[in-house]
Amino acid sequence: MLEARLGQAALLKKVVDAIKDLVQDCNFDCNDSGIALQAMDNSHVALVSMLLRSEAFSPFRCDRNIALGINLSSLTKVLRAAQSEDILTLKAEDSPDVVNLVFETKDSDRISEYDIKLMDIDQEHLGIPETEYAATISLPAAEFQRICRDLSALSESVSIECTKEGVKFNCSGDIGSGSIQLRAHTSVDNPKENVEIDLTEPVALTFSLKYLVNFCKASGLSDQVKLCLSNEVPLLVEYGLSSNSYLRFYLAPKIGDDE
Amino acid sequence: MAKTRSKPNAAAEPKASKPDSDPSTKKTIPSSDLNPPKLFVLPKDASQSARIVTLDSPANGTPSKYLFCPEKGFYEFTRIAAPKKASRSWLITSEKGVGDEEEKPATQSNDAGQIGSGYITKTSDLFVATSLDMLFLILPILAPKSVKDTKQHFLSLDDHLDNLISLSPHWKPLLWQTSSLKRRIEKRLASICDTVDAGDETMYRLSHTKLLGVLHKKAERMTKNGLPASMEDKFVKPALNIPIMNIKRETSTLSVTSTPESQDSATTVTESQTTSATTATSFTSDPELPPTTLTTPPTIPPLLRLRTALNYLLTAYIPPTLRQPLQTLLTSPQPHSTLHDFTPLTAHLTALATLRSEATALRSISDNISRKRGFADDDEAAAEREEKKQKKEDEERRKKTESRGVKQLKKVNTSGMMKLSAFFTKAPVKKKA
Repeated sequence: MLEARLGQAALLKKVVDAIKDLVQDCNFDCNDSGIALQAMDNSHVALVSMLLRSEAFSPFRCDRNIALGINLSSLTKVLRAAQSEDILTLKAEDSPDVVNLVFETKDSDRISEYDIKLMDIDQEHLGIPETEYAATISLPAAEFQRICRDLSALSESVSIECTKEGVKFNCSGDIGSGSIQLRAHTSVDNPKENVEIDLTEPVALTFSLKYLVNFCKASGLSDQVKLCLSNEVPLLVEYGLSSNSYLRFYLAPKIGDDE
Repeated sequence: MAKTRSKPNAAAEPKASKPDSDPSTKKTIPSSDLNPPKLFVLPKDASQSARIVTLDSPANGTPSKYLFCPEKGFYEFTRIAAPKKASRSWLITSEKGVGDEEEKPATQSNDAGQIGSGYITKTSDLFVATSLDMLFLILPILAPKSVKDTKQHFLSLDDHLDNLISLSPHWKPLLWQTSSLKRRIEKRLASICDTVDAGDETMYRLSHTKLLGVLHKKAERMTKNGLPASMEDKFVKPALNIPIMNIKRETSTLSVTSTPESQDSATTVTESQTTSATTATSFTSDPELPPTTLTTPPTIPPLLRLRTALNYLLTAYIPPTLRQPLQTLLTSPQPHSTLHDFTPLTAHLTALATLRSEATALRSISDNISRKRGFADDDEAAAEREEKKQKKEDEERRKKTESRGVKQLKKVNTSGMMKLSAFFTKAPVKKKA
């Protein structure tokens, strides 16, 4: 059986909020190392991969590998009943029909319990290799979200050019064009505002802004977001979570259709 | 028999003027006649005193026209008409101009003869006089008045004749004028009646058996040279068609109905009579065996033709009250009679009928198979439908629970974006075991 106690319900709330606009249903694969999730959007151009390591939970118990097929809208509905500070416990049998969620207030005065019916979901699981990216950019998640939002008003797609000088988000649409350039800078006082660029070779790729905006819904999960780019390889947008857990998004670049 | 020549035709024309035909020899034809002349083909050697009389038709009792020739006897008129669609007319010209031609379309050029360059009748009817056994004409008086009235009395010839006259008044002058007629009637009467001698008079009463015998002989004569093609096509060939149950069986009917058989002389007819009797026994002894390999025995088609001819005679010339008893007499077994035994034919036709019904039943089954779902895959189809329905419902539900973001992403133009499966290989199904 599975029993995973999460100190703050906010984490799961935010994760699910970030994913639910990309995929409808997905399997939460639970094993002794934690809870993992991998799902693609309907068009199969974007992929979300989440890993909540067992260390993120206390306690975490998973006797067997369990796949919890959950409709994310349903999960969202239930999670709305939890307050961010609540202690959340996920429970499931070994071959479950439902997943049980228990929300406890900090002082344990209020305990709410929900069951969500599970679904059988057929999803193909992609093996994602460890990749050495040509460029890795870390920037404040809020900054990235703002860039994507601002540019999406102008165009469908953005080209991300990474050079030694910095990273340039460039777009042009019907009403005109726009570009945002960020230079790497490190602030000792406020490491949240750091922009770090790790570049082995210049990269220029074009991506769909709508998808990027969608990914940015995970911005609340962490202060910094990491963008990893290599030519002709999907963009990786990673939001690091506590205890080495992560929420990653992959997006296929636009090739040959630059405008 | 009547010959289709114009000479007697023209000669007979004035005679035909009695009730309805009025050949106009006038030069001008002001308008179409109310009573236009009719065209008759009369027997060549009809005597001068031959005339058209109105007598009751034996088949239905309605007054009909017959030609009576004191020497030759009675002739009935057969109307030969062009089909309604083929609008044809007759051009009648004078004897001189026409020559030997009998049938002429109206478009043909006309000689300026005495008939005022000819006469055109609108209707293309041609009345052909064909000889008729007076037996049929006297049958009405011998037949019972109604079906129930089965009791028949012996009557003297004079009584019969009185009956005849009361039935159709035209008989009276005929009998009066033609002295030989009475004798001939007596002869015909004798051939179909049981007789009783009462003093110096002979009394007559209809004998069904004798009548059937006469009819039978007539029918045999009819079939001797084969039935007319139209009758053969309508009554004989279809009746003997063996339904094709499977491809292997060959239809043998057509070869059997060929002419050589039907042209057999009267001697072979009697011969086939005996053989038909033997086949009858063999047929009834193993009725279950033949259905798969049913062929038409060679004795069957002549029998069928004979019966067709008999049926025709019965319906065309026999009073309705007599038909039923004659039919039963025909179908009932007759050990002593000279009539053909129709049992093999009946058996064959019944076998054919069962075959046919089987064939139709089979066909309807195969129709069912092809047109409807069979029973075998019914469950499967139902399951399939159920699955489809479920899928549809799922789809609908998915759509309803779709989040706003997902909906919006559907609208994104993903052209130029490769699927992620192009970059990332598919992982083994159970990565983390």
